[in-house]
Amino acid sequence: MIRIRERTTTLGSLVRGVAAIIGLGIVLGAVFHFPLLRRFAAGEFRQSFIDRREYAGIRFISLGETQDLFAQKMQGDAGLLFIDSRSRDDFAAGHIPGAQAVPLDEVQRPEKKQAGPEFPWTLDFPGAQTLVVYCEGGDCQTSIALAKLIHDKGYKDVRIFSGGWSEWSAAGLPEERRP
Amino acid sequence: MIRRRWLLFLFRLIVGGVFIWAGALKIADPLEFAQSIKNYQVFPHGLAFLMAIVLPWVEVISGAFLIIGVFKRSSALLISLLLIGFIGLVGLALARGIDTSCGCFGSLSRRADFSLILTDAVLLVFALTILFTRPARHNP
Repeated sequence: MIRIRERTTTLGSLVRGVAAIIGLGIVLGAVFHFPLLRRFAAGEFRQSFIDRREYAGIRFISLGETQDLFAQKMQGDAGLLFIDSRSRDDFAAGHIPGAQAVPLDEVQRPEKKQAGPEFPWTLDFPGAQTLVVYCEGGDCQTSIALAKLIHDKGYKDVRIFSGGWSEWSAAGLPEERRP
Repeated sequence: MIRRRWLLFLFRLIVGGVFIWAGALKIADPLEFAQSIKNYQVFPHGLAFLMAIVLPWVEVISGAFLIIGVFKRSSALLISLLLIGFIGLVGLALARGIDTSCGCFGSLSRRADFSLILTDAVLLVFALTILFTRPARHNP
């Protein structure tokens, strides 16, 4: 009986300790990051965790806006560039016509970059002023990461098509299958 | 007995040190950590943000408490639970073919791969050893 009571007491003190640490963590987190919490409460960071002050040139666009930009591109706007951040295989299986493949997994892990003329990606896009980056859509995050890298390179108009490839292809819009 | 005490202290230093370091790097850039959590495609957006605000502090506090000996076993329990969660999360990401940075050390993070699971498993063994080792009784 005494042993059972001892164990219950031990377990109780363990749980109380855990609760105290988590409680302290919540308090310190709330105090230390109060400005960030206020910005979140005001509606910032609802779409992504991109800091608008740091990445002022990045914004999210809808399918309609992407279609408009695509139409501009088709009419010969050379300053517009579509960038596909998915893997080589996904890109080869289908992409927005004229898009350039910049697979994020290869950007982040250069050892994965394969030699060959079919995907000569770089993060330099001569002549490009507006860059539209997309990935698979849904919960994919590679377009956000790539957009930040491109922005860091000095490009100040980077748009993320959050619907991505799945929304584009589901809408029956033009596709290109060769690399 | 003395050797065991020193070994336990070494475990506390290693696990506590890793958690303080990991938490401090994340505190420095909570948005990057929130994005790392989101990359696992498990947690909803708002929860990922709140986790990024609180979790690094919980890591730092439990790591510090483990080293200085305040709430020592509670810290070991909490760290064990966190490590089990991390292992599960990385395992899930690998099973779903998600190739992402682990987010465990802020901007110094490595890939979420099998070697990371092994590292976490070693830390888990250390933490569980601290948790389940009863303090030596002093006989008068």
